[in-house]
Amino acid sequence: MAVFRRIANLFRRSRIDRDIDDEFQAHLALRIDDNLAHGMSPDEARREALLRFGNPASTKERVTSVDAALGIDGIVRDVRYAARQLLRAPGFAITSILTLALGIGVNTASFSSMDAVVLHPLAVPQLDRVVTVADQQGRGDYKPVALANYEDWKRQNRSFEDLAVHSSVDMSLTGAGDAAHVRAALTSASFFSVLRTQALLGRVFGENECQPGRDSVAVLNYGFWQRRFAADPAVLGHKIELNQRTYTIIGVMPKTMQYPSDSDFYLPFAPTPQQLQDRATHDYLVTARLHDGITVQQAQAEMRILSEHLAKVYPATNQGLSIRVEPLLDGINGELTPLYYRLIMGATLFVLLVVCANVANLQFARGIARRSEIAMRTALGASRTRILRQLLTENILLGLVGAGGGLLIAGLYLHLILISMPARVARYMAGWSNTSLNGRVLTFSLLLAVAAAIVSGIVPAIAALRLNVTEQLKSGSRGATGSVKSGRLRNIFAVSQIALAVALVIGATLISKGMLGLLHLADAYQPNKVLTFNVSLPPARYDTDEKKATWYKDSLARLRTLPGVTHAELTTALPYTDNAWLRDCTIENRPIVPGKFQSAFYLPVSDGYFAAFHIAILAGRTFSASDSLGAQPVAIVSRRFAAQYFPGQSPIGHRIRMGNSRLTHEPWLTIVGVAEETTYAMWDRSTLQAAVYMSAAQLPPAGATYAVMTNGDPLALAPSVRKSLAAIDPSLPLDAVMTYEQYEHEILTGLMYAAAMLAVDAVIALLLAAIGIFGVMANLVGERTREIGVRLAMGARREDVLALIVRRASWLTGIGIGCGLLLAFGLAHLVANLLRGVRPDDPTVFVAITVTIAAIALASSWIPARRASRVDPMQALRSE
Amino acid sequence: MAKNDLQGTLDLLVLKTLAQNGALHGYGIVLHVQNASGEMLRVEEGSLYPALHRMELSGWVASEWAMTETNRRAKYYKLTAAGRRQLQQAEESFDQLVKGVRAVLRYA
Repeated sequence: MAVFRRIANLFRRSRIDRDIDDEFQAHLALRIDDNLAHGMSPDEARREALLRFGNPASTKERVTSVDAALGIDGIVRDVRYAARQLLRAPGFAITSILTLALGIGVNTASFSSMDAVVLHPLAVPQLDRVVTVADQQGRGDYKPVALANYEDWKRQNRSFEDLAVHSSVDMSLTGAGDAAHVRAALTSASFFSVLRTQALLGRVFGENECQPGRDSVAVLNYGFWQRRFAADPAVLGHKIELNQRTYTIIGVMPKTMQYPSDSDFYLPFAPTPQQLQDRATHDYLVTARLHDGITVQQAQAEMRILSEHLAKVYPATNQGLSIRVEPLLDGINGELTPLYYRLIMGATLFVLLVVCANVANLQFARGIARRSEIAMRTALGASRTRILRQLLTENILLGLVGAGGGLLIAGLYLHLILISMPARVARYMAGWSNTSLNGRVLTFSLLLAVAAAIVSGIVPAIAALRLNVTEQLKSGSRGATGSVKSGRLRNIFAVSQIALAVALVIGATLISKGMLGLLHLADAYQPNKVLTFNVSLPPARYDTDEKKATWYKDSLARLRTLPGVTHAELTTALPYTDNAWLRDCTIENRPIVPGKFQSAFYLPVSDGYFAAFHIAILAGRTFSASDSLGAQPVAIVSRRFAAQYFPGQSPIGHRIRMGNSRLTHEPWLTIVGVAEETTYAMWDRSTLQAAVYMSAAQLPPAGATYAVMTNGDPLALAPSVRKSLAAIDPSLPLDAVMTYEQYEHEILTGLMYAAAMLAVDAVIALLLAAIGIFGVMANLVGERTREIGVRLAMGARREDVLALIVRRASWLTGIGIGCGLLLAFGLAHLVANLLRGVRPDDPTVFVAITVTIAAIALASSWIPARRASRVDPMQALRSE
Repeated sequence: MAKNDLQGTLDLLVLKTLAQNGALHGYGIVLHVQNASGEMLRVEEGSLYPALHRMELSGWVASEWAMTETNRRAKYYKLTAAGRRQLQQAEESFDQLVKGVRAVLRYA
């Protein structure tokens, strides 16, 4: 291989030298032999041969220089030369390296986070072959699967290697420190084989343990093992109590397997024969691994046929249901997280473009100073490609050193991101804890460095080469005037910097403003005065409605007596939390059209809920103490519900039932009132849902969210709340104790994170754009010092000179802002389509940002302009 | 377009010589070109050796030390498969060049 020979030659320099000498000697000897044979005297023969050969030293030089021109040796020399050149211009080198480090650093950090959360959240081999399989109702939402259907899929499909089923249950953990509310994933044994994962410690459970009576083993999630058991390896074999049942810990999952992301435990799913027959309870999530060679589309097609078949055989339960096959990766983070990451990554790459424009501008400035050097080398015979290669080597060296600094910045940045993420939110992001500077990230930053180096270097390098050698050499080393062409290029770079900065700052501001709007949605409820927490009643101990109702009644009564408490109420979902449960509902004496679904939010609330949240009762009555367990079940519907299902008439007195069709065990509820509309959705407020409220005393839910309103600091109230509730049931954990305001913030963490990252990007871009315009103007003044001197000597006033420079800066800024506004407008529409709550045509933002950036750009051109106006004409002319 | 450079011509001469004669040392190449061209072309040693080295690095020729008929040690060069392909290209390119130059000279 030619390349290997070149590399090998590097290390055999002395041997090659000798080789060449020997070859030349042989050549001379052969000619001398011939000359002797032609009858020359020995002296003559030797002299003629030497004469014909020419200068052996110079020939040898030319032979060895072939190596240099062809490759590796040349690269090593180029790098050393580049390093020397950079050391000679430390100001330029340091500025470029810092700028590049900043650009590469933020990009590396963003990519690293995106890689961990979106691209590789789970360390599952061939993750792209793993899919989720779900029921889908009509064209609507995906639905968990009923177990009997899952069993049919498992038996009848040909697309999947294996399928697994899991569901989540809330449990209370006792026997290991304080009572705690935990979440367990009940999984089939095939869950681990579908994901092709093994335990980090101990083992996972097998098929034989997924049977009733033999299922008392538990596998810990890594995060939970760390939080609860301080990563103690001796935890294997420990006994714990979950919902008053004893389980033995047999294994710990690896850190990179946080799926389902909110699970603390994996427990064997041991279905009873009745459960296996059940086609109505949609409670289970299904994952599957595709056979080799089967695509998601093929699996989807097969499952669609299967679902049509099942709908024919079991019309009562399966009519209108189809099956949806989707890559697991799509489902892990939902819709918003990948979107945020793409947004952040896009903005960060914008920043890198600004960085490249900035470095390119620095290169232009330096290219002018280096003209004599380049002219000299050209005159001495260096080819254009040779010099281009040299200049690019210099840039790539800058890029690589910049990447080194960038990795440091990325490390710091990631550290800040990791510590600022609330633990409760991080738990729900499957890959969050995997964030690290791994091989993929290093490759990414290296590629970025080289790309940035070439992008920022190629145009200035070509411009530097396009010079007239003789002119340059004639004018001597002082020839420091830039050509018109490279001046224009530099202007283009400065303009694009401003344009990119404008677009980025406007985008970031719009998103921040949208986010602030969402943060303040619940302001009417004074969320900073409300303490919220969740309670879920373990079904083993709270096994009857009476027990649950008693708990709710007693707990509310105790909370209301606490000092400073104005209201204590409970609901299953607070307004603007996206927490409400959307259920099907049936209206008495109105047949359901198959395939057409009517639904409403299902909201059990306490009696005083409407008063506490200022929800007006428009007709009928509110809940009262007489709506108790034994009494006739009643409901209050929202105004939208009344308008939707009882247009033009009063719904009061009609009966409704929640849950799907004939199979539900829910009671018929008599409508006794109509309540004013309240929004429970946070994101999707475009399609508002109707709501049905019922009395929590009459239909006690398995768990509830409490809202304790107070005059003072709600968090100061937390200890006495805990104490008074522990007095009723000491082993019942309170979950997510925080103010309503904090709760809202937590829901918005993703958007806040995105907005913060974008703000960082925007500030960097703005700073660089300011530096960029400063650089361009400073250079302009430097290059035109003599001209300005002449102008001043000819009688121009200093104000004229000042105006000249500022006018130039205004032009550049104006064009930059114009392009930036166009770009921002397009981007804003794109973002507004993706993110709800963002208004793309917010004139205040557009005007305010435009004015700010114009001011910053003009301010940064002020210093060079003032310097120009202070030029001493004598000095300027003499210096020539 | 023909590649119109003199270096290309030297490469062509060397490659062709090696193709016709099998293995040959540098001096042998000089002699062959001189004789075959009827003393019209003379290859300068100062150009030949850098060219041979470059062609070796490019993988067109391979070299080996061997003894001459007169019992002297000399470095012999021979064509590789890549060199044969290169020769074909260089010949075509040269034909184009000659045709082009002829056409210009004939233009009245």
